[in-house]
Amino acid sequence: MNKILVSDIIDLNNDSYIINSKNNKIVLNILGNVKVYLINEVIDDITFDVKEKSNLDIYLFNKNVNNNLVINIKERNDSLVNLNFSIINNANRELIVNNDMIGNNSKSVIKGRIISNKDLIKVIINVNVFSNTLNNIALEDLKGINNGGFVQIEPNITCLTNDVSANHLTSIGNLNKDMVSYLMSKGLNEQNAKNLMLKGFIYSNMDEYIKNLGDE
Amino acid sequence: MLNLDNINLYINDKVLFKGLNLTINEGEIHVLMGKNGIGKSSIAKTILGDQNYKVEGHIYYNGEDITNLNIYERSRRGIYTISQMPMEIEGVTNAEMLRTVISNRTTEPLNILKFNKELEIICASLELDKSFIHREINVGASGGEKKKVELMHMWMLKPSFIILDEIDSGLDVDAIKLVATSLKKYYEEYHPSILIITHSSTLIDTFSDYHVHLLDKEGIIMEGNQDLAHEILTKGYKNIIKNEHLL
Repeated sequence: MNKILVSDIIDLNNDSYIINSKNNKIVLNILGNVKVYLINEVIDDITFDVKEKSNLDIYLFNKNVNNNLVINIKERNDSLVNLNFSIINNANRELIVNNDMIGNNSKSVIKGRIISNKDLIKVIINVNVFSNTLNNIALEDLKGINNGGFVQIEPNITCLTNDVSANHLTSIGNLNKDMVSYLMSKGLNEQNAKNLMLKGFIYSNMDEYIKNLGDE
Repeated sequence: MLNLDNINLYINDKVLFKGLNLTINEGEIHVLMGKNGIGKSSIAKTILGDQNYKVEGHIYYNGEDITNLNIYERSRRGIYTISQMPMEIEGVTNAEMLRTVISNRTTEPLNILKFNKELEIICASLELDKSFIHREINVGASGGEKKKVELMHMWMLKPSFIILDEIDSGLDVDAIKLVATSLKKYYEEYHPSILIITHSSTLIDTFSDYHVHLLDKEGIIMEGNQDLAHEILTKGYKNIIKNEHLL
């Protein structure tokens, strides 16, 4: 795992990186198999330029980071992008993801888990499959929990070609009362049951590295 | 141990039962039988503390009035249920839930090695892959696996009053046998009181001695022992209830 300080533009090759940004706007060129962690990083604009035949896994974890964030992803031929983000906030916040699929034979999987404890968290996902592209796949799996605040999700997939497979799942709701009762029946008080469910929800799309940080 | 004393039970202002009485003493096994939809599960949920039900009358547990206690408070007193359709809890593992519950019960730090070892032994006895220990609760598990997971929780939490709400439904013969063996072993080791809701004899015949209650719209209309259970299962609810009303 490499911890790197990024000031503007940097090439990332075949490794895992924890990103610290020096500026509010950075560009990461992705070559090979790359894993990027953005953990409670205060940043306004980040661009991933995913080169041909490259695979990118992004783990974005934000707890009470209140600045608005725009993520731009450019996918070229034969690339794979897995964007996993988890946001838990107690103030207004906006996240915009622009995923441009400009090549062929690429796949984009965007999974988001969002909890709003107060105010509004607005998430806008724009996956754009460009014209004259072939055999791309775009998947969105976005879930939000209103836990005292509100979550708003706009899942957009724009396909300007016929040769694409696209699917999205979006749900927003409150904590399931039956599940809370189930955990209470095992011997957890209501608050502990809710906390365990919220923790499980927010870490459900994070990898072991971030889960372990959460346990500490 | 448990005493339902003159209970009037309502859901959404609809009367389910009036004047229901049921006493289950320490270490006794009771079987509640009755037609589908007659309210057996409602009674189970009422004992557990489901807030969707309005209760008039009193529920006593070990002499204490628990009528107004919530699910957690009743669970802490040893009341435990396994339902026919256990919930799936995304993001919460069995180990995490059990660790949190057990840690909250004591001021002493939890011995993780001992905790994991105990879980592994329980999994082996239930023929449940030990990977379930760190899997999300019941997520993606088959019907049989879910029942075994619930039994794993039971063995770890060691309740003193267990409600089994049609846990034999949807299980194949081998799975029912395994569930029954595990329950019998638990009973022999810890002597809990057990309330079984079932439509079949496979599970209840594991136990040599039990009380049977036949539930109908008016409440409990017949009581007996295993002979009554077998009569009901042979003749059917309709015939038994018809004869009872003719007497």
